[in-house]
Amino acid sequence: MATTNRAPKLKLSNVSKEFTAPGTGQRTVAVADVSLEIQSGEFICVVGPSGCGKSTVLNMVAGLAEPSSGTIEKDGVPITGPGADRGVMFQDYALFPWLNVRDNIGFGLRHGTPGKELSRSTREERVGHYIELVGLAGSENKYPHQLSGGMRQRVALARLLANGPDILLLDEPLGALDAQTRLILQVELLRIWGETAPAEQRKTAIFITHDIEETVFLADRVVVMSTHPGRVKAVLPVDLPRPREETIRAEPRFGHLAEEIWGLIRDEAYRAIA
Amino acid sequence: MIRPAPESRWTPVINAVLLPAVLVIAWQIWAVTLPADTRAPAPVGVVAAFFHLAGSGGLFSATLQSLGRVLLGFAFAVVFGVGLGLLMGSSRSVKDNLDPIIESFRPIAPMAVLPIAILLLGTGTPAALSIVAYAAFFPLLINTVHGVSRVDRKLVQAAMTMGVPRPRILATVILPAALPSIMLGARVAMGVAWTAIIAAELAVGAKSGGGTSGGIGQMMFVFYAYSIDLNGIVVCMIVIGVVALLIDRFFRATERWLMPWRY
Repeated sequence: MATTNRAPKLKLSNVSKEFTAPGTGQRTVAVADVSLEIQSGEFICVVGPSGCGKSTVLNMVAGLAEPSSGTIEKDGVPITGPGADRGVMFQDYALFPWLNVRDNIGFGLRHGTPGKELSRSTREERVGHYIELVGLAGSENKYPHQLSGGMRQRVALARLLANGPDILLLDEPLGALDAQTRLILQVELLRIWGETAPAEQRKTAIFITHDIEETVFLADRVVVMSTHPGRVKAVLPVDLPRPREETIRAEPRFGHLAEEIWGLIRDEAYRAIA
Repeated sequence: MIRPAPESRWTPVINAVLLPAVLVIAWQIWAVTLPADTRAPAPVGVVAAFFHLAGSGGLFSATLQSLGRVLLGFAFAVVFGVGLGLLMGSSRSVKDNLDPIIESFRPIAPMAVLPIAILLLGTGTPAALSIVAYAAFFPLLINTVHGVSRVDRKLVQAAMTMGVPRPRILATVILPAALPSIMLGARVAMGVAWTAIIAAELAVGAKSGGGTSGGIGQMMFVFYAYSIDLNGIVVCMIVIGVVALLIDRFFRATERWLMPWRY
């Protein structure tokens, strides 16, 4: 675990977010007083019942939403808007339906800041590399609507990585998949994130989910959030060795951690359905 | 046991052709019973008029002239309608400012604008052109605004998180995302443009006393007001219908070509 006393990659200080309903003017506190330090190369999972503001936190880090109060700093510099240094993978993938797989993955390189200095052939090479990496070779010319859910998810992941962000923001990226595909892609995600590489080469990742076992399998630390208003309830280190294999799910420690997280969420989860 | 007659692949074609053929034959039989000096059109007369008009090249050049005006007027409407539509769709304040003006002009039929167009622009192509552009402008504008307002916000956000600058997002995300709606508007616009050009040419032809305004509408006016040739008028009507059909088919083909991801 990367809990050295280096300067944090990301630092959220007393971040709150209020929304005002357009008609009534009624205010809702979506996120209240969230403070968090994330080290470079860390894999953070954020878990909590729906409505706990986890997506709002992610959007603020992405620069798509502004905190009502508090600050978010990346490498000591306040975040003022969206940028290609913080790539987002959206819940429903947000692929461009009019572009085929290759052009979707190459979109940021072609139109955005990441590809500015690169020649055309370098860009094409990089797109080809990520197509290979996520196992989409042979489907380059297909449109998103011709792909299965798992394949779309891979396109979104490749598009995210091709832009070379140093922070990966993943908003329930596996949420729409069936259970089996999900397990396979969890392993693959860790491989692509750089689990087998030395820690300093890994990207920083914030992964949002409501699947408790998923957080234990993926994370270095799990941030548990609670609702009304959304705040950080606990931060749990996951002391399972890496690289993590499928078999780790059978270990007692895995079960204990999942149980502990469930214990933190249970009351609210029951209240939500009561 | 009753077995239905086997469906041949020609059955739909036969069904489609049968009733019109019966009607045309009935029309012809009826026409034969009329006195010899009648002006009423008849199928045989229409066919004869068609070959006469087509043979002289007059029908072809008149159709081409009308079509040329439609395309040019339509092009103006695309530039202004889609351009303004993109602006209105992506900026709340632009929309709020322009909406009252547009909504008050929209119910004014193209024909109602014609008197002013003729007075200001004369009886030539510019007047006809401006009517076409006016008629085609509204469907294009309204469908573009609608298409832009319905663009998935996530797609725009995705582009923003890839460091794509705002103006480029308009061209690379908003325009293609709104394209299906814009194309629908274009098809409707082309339909009303073709309707408008005929009416405009009829009216312009009337004003210029059957002069040199040209076009298929003016040709109809001449048959109506001078030679009183009903067969000729029917030929013009058929040509107008066929051209409208071809335009629609062309647009459907263009949609397939422009938006392969939808098929």
